[in-house]
Amino acid sequence: MTEQMLSPIVPTPLIPRSFTTTESNKTGSWRFLKPRYDEKTAPCSAACPAGEDIARVEMLVAQGLFKEAWETILQENPFPAVCGRVCFHPCEGVCNRKEFDDAIAIHTLERFVADTAMRYGIQPDIARRPVQGPRVAVVGSGPSGLAAAYFLARLGYTCDVFEAKSEPGGILRWGIPLYRLPVNVLEWEIGRIRSLGVEIHCNHRVSSDFLRDAGDRYQAVFIGCGHHRNVDLGIPGENLDGVEEGLPFLERVRAGERPDLSGAVAIIGGGNTAVDVSRCALRLGAKPVIVYRRRRQDMPAFEHEIEMALEEGVELMELWAPLEIAPHADGYRLVLQKMEVAAEEGPRAQVRPVPGETREMVVSKVLKAIGNAAEEAWMEPPEGDGKLLRLANTALVRRDDGPVLVYGGDLAALEKSVAHAVASGKEAAMALDTYFQDGWDAIESKVSACRVGQGPSLSMEMYLGGERCRRNPHVVAFQEINTDYFLFSPRLAQPRLLKEERIQGFSEIDLKISAALALREAERCFNCGICNQCDNCRLFCPDLAVCRDDNPQGRRINYDYCKGCGVCVVECPRNAMALEQD
Amino acid sequence: MELDVLDRDYMCSGHVGCPGCGAAIAMRFLLKALGEKTMMVIPACCWSIIAGPHPQSTLKVPVLHTAFETGGAVASGIRAALDAKGDTETTVVTWAGDGGTFDIGFQALSGAVERNEDFIYVCYDNEAYMNTGVQRSSSTPYGAWTTTTPGQEWKRLRKKNIVEALVAHRIPYAATASIAFPEDLVRKVKKAKGIKGSRFLHIYASCPTGWRIPSEMAIKIARMAVQTNIFPLYEVENGVRYTINYMPKGYLVREYFKLQGRFKHLTDNDLEQIQEMVNEDWELLLRKAGVSMSAAGTVA
Ligand SMILES: Cc1cc2nc3c(=O)[nH]c(=O)nc-3n(C[C@H](O)[C@H](O)[C@H](O)COP(=O)(O)OP(=O)(O)OC[C@H]3O[C@@H](n4cnc5c(N)ncnc54)[C@H](O)[C@@H]3O)c2cc1C
Ligand SMILES: Cc1ncc(C[n+]2csc(CCOP(=O)(O)OP(=O)(O)O)c2C)c(N)n1
Ligand code: SF4
Ligand code: SF4
Ligand SMILES: [Mg+2]
Repeated sequence: MTEQMLSPIVPTPLIPRSFTTTESNKTGSWRFLKPRYDEKTAPCSAACPAGEDIARVEMLVAQGLFKEAWETILQENPFPAVCGRVCFHPCEGVCNRKEFDDAIAIHTLERFVADTAMRYGIQPDIARRPVQGPRVAVVGSGPSGLAAAYFLARLGYTCDVFEAKSEPGGILRWGIPLYRLPVNVLEWEIGRIRSLGVEIHCNHRVSSDFLRDAGDRYQAVFIGCGHHRNVDLGIPGENLDGVEEGLPFLERVRAGERPDLSGAVAIIGGGNTAVDVSRCALRLGAKPVIVYRRRRQDMPAFEHEIEMALEEGVELMELWAPLEIAPHADGYRLVLQKMEVAAEEGPRAQVRPVPGETREMVVSKVLKAIGNAAEEAWMEPPEGDGKLLRLANTALVRRDDGPVLVYGGDLAALEKSVAHAVASGKEAAMALDTYFQDGWDAIESKVSACRVGQGPSLSMEMYLGGERCRRNPHVVAFQEINTDYFLFSPRLAQPRLLKEERIQGFSEIDLKISAALALREAERCFNCGICNQCDNCRLFCPDLAVCRDDNPQGRRINYDYCKGCGVCVVECPRNAMALEQD
Repeated sequence: MELDVLDRDYMCSGHVGCPGCGAAIAMRFLLKALGEKTMMVIPACCWSIIAGPHPQSTLKVPVLHTAFETGGAVASGIRAALDAKGDTETTVVTWAGDGGTFDIGFQALSGAVERNEDFIYVCYDNEAYMNTGVQRSSSTPYGAWTTTTPGQEWKRLRKKNIVEALVAHRIPYAATASIAFPEDLVRKVKKAKGIKGSRFLHIYASCPTGWRIPSEMAIKIARMAVQTNIFPLYEVENGVRYTINYMPKGYLVREYFKLQGRFKHLTDNDLEQIQEMVNEDWELLLRKAGVSMSAAGTVA
């Protein structure tokens, strides 16, 4: 008998048994709404003049990937250690977390990742193009010039930087005092730019002739000379011996001079220079008084700096304008005119004198800091030139008889700040690269394709065709965050020197934070609009239609089964998905 | 927040649950926690359909489909059969709807847990007889529209407190859980798995179709039920030891009600009354758990 006939008879089951899965039901056909991954733009990154990918930086910090976080910043800004200290951080002002409890301490984390890299002597791994033909001259080694050279070098261009002073850095080197920006921090950042092959020629003042002759060696010149001409007060006595300009005073102090000051010292003005001069004077023994013709809220200086100055003991006299400076046995006699607000239009109030109301004060020294302008006419973008192309933070001029000129930094930027200077250097590099590759007419459209959100901030990562190009420019609003996934937690408190310690000298005021604090702060970030791989979308899918994948997203939606319920989209804590008509 | 939930699934795509089905999500989480050594009893309910028409099954564990009222009895029998075979490893689970638990299956359930049968009974609660077209059950909450409490005849009776009914049987473990809190849910299932005797889990599972809510809100609304104290997360050991697992942040019940079509007829007055009922239930639970009211931040 055959084997088959011997086998026992399989009994018919008493109840029917299933033996296949449901996978042959393609329930995707039910769908009329379709979820998809759709990374968007965080408000902080759009507000950052340098367009840093902050949502991603904070995600990397929270994951302990400090080097990657630092490199992500370096994609967009060569100065994280500087900006983490001195940038006025408009990013934090628009942080979505502000609506929940407190804004993320973005600048503190920026400084933390940079300081960590500095401490361990880490070199960044950042892609660079091979060297190509055109050479670019950069006039001025302030943040705008150095940023232009940095981005151009990464794009493969040879750059020579010409600097009038003995050391590079511009205002970062000679203006901002040590208690806010230690010199080794600046040198470390500049060293990295040099290591890209950028030559910085110090003690090399460039004149207008250079623009005429540069064509032999350079295809373009970036002009980032800053605003270094002191603006006159236009009052009698302002040129008396010992009445000093603010910027040169700061320069002296940064060069190591420690002039002995005592008694009341008047500082005239309301900008960053006035505030830093007053704080330096305080450290040198004076009792500084800032005399400002408008009110505190009208001062162009950054609010945080004003607050620190007042805390340290600087006095502020609002609504007083100087009329005259005269010699006096104890120094100078300062005649002041009382002012009043005439109109509130615009960013700063309009003021007018109150007739008959004046006062006098005797001070040991007067420091003028009412503002600065371009030193020479050729440094400024020509008005109304047909070949002038104005971008957000730069102005470009094409000439028939010489290299292309790009004006940047304080000479052309939307605002006078370090981050805007960096933004202009980046914009210049994108514009010049586009010009060299695709011609003049391509500049505007190619640059505007790199906007972060609605702009004007630009992303070099986007210019280079990186992952960030896929971001939706839609800026995520607080209402679009699923706050069920976040717990209240206070913003980190920046450790600082005590007021008494600060005014003893020029030591850095803001102290380091620990890695533990940095991690905790970064974890507070919503990571608005970007996927941090939390996996909620996959977890909650009732149809098991979200699958792991080795694509950059990390997962994909299987539309064979996705019924379009939209649970994944609503449960994404950070609005990195979208639900739309199928 | 990173959710620490096991990666493996014991359920397949292609099931026929409605888009956004909370009961499907509940089953996914349950099986992630239990693993493949599980035998399941499913009395008549939506899940009888979701699991797939013969010869399909969407679950990768054995399922016995049984009559509506028999969840407790059939599980007792399977447990006895496994014991006879010497299989102590397999967990027997009854997976029933609220109708099959609160109403028609209550006798079999009560009998089984009174005998302290060694199994887990899970009620996935969608607050009505959904499979047959949204008829009210004793789990349907006060204020809800169903097809048998239509228009102005909306349900004016309170929802039965099923966990307290089970606690009264002094079973080793009874707990509530929600699809919006997967970590808590998975932890409770694992905990239940490690206990011998009768264990009862009451899982809140939103139903977009029956509740008249947008499918994408399925989890959000389940979460709000917890945040408003309408469905508190707690567990009770041996009928006496209460632990509250989630302390609310003071959300008002109206936020939860106004998102759902089944409650759209309710007036402000009705909502105030409901808020009072919810507060009362919550305070009762706090007393049982020995938590002071001020510590819990009750909604005034
Ligand atoms: C006191 C002070 C404090 C400030 N604090 C802050 C702050 O905290 N945060 C912030 O964001 N911004 C701050 N700012 C503003 C910020 O520093 C400037 O906006 C920024 O430095 C502008 O950069 P830049 O490259 O355009 O010019 P600069 O930094 O001014 O650099 C220009 C450089 O060009 C060189 N140069 C000029 N002419 C020639 C020439 N003919 N040939 C060769 N080299 C030349 C100069 O020597 C200088 O090194 C501050 C400004 C001042 C004055
Ligand atoms: C004895 C009996 N009566 C009625 C039915 C019809 N029936 C099947 S499922 C169901 C409703 C089940 O409701 P519930 O237990 O809440 O589960 P849901 O469908 O809501 O998931 C009913 C009434 C039945 N199968 N058996
Ligand atoms: S929460 Fe994070 S990503 Fe969102 S705005 Fe604030 S810093 Fe940017
Ligand atoms: S839910 Fe999490 S994993 Fe899914 S897209 Fe959003 S952030 Fe990414
Ligand atoms: Mg039901």
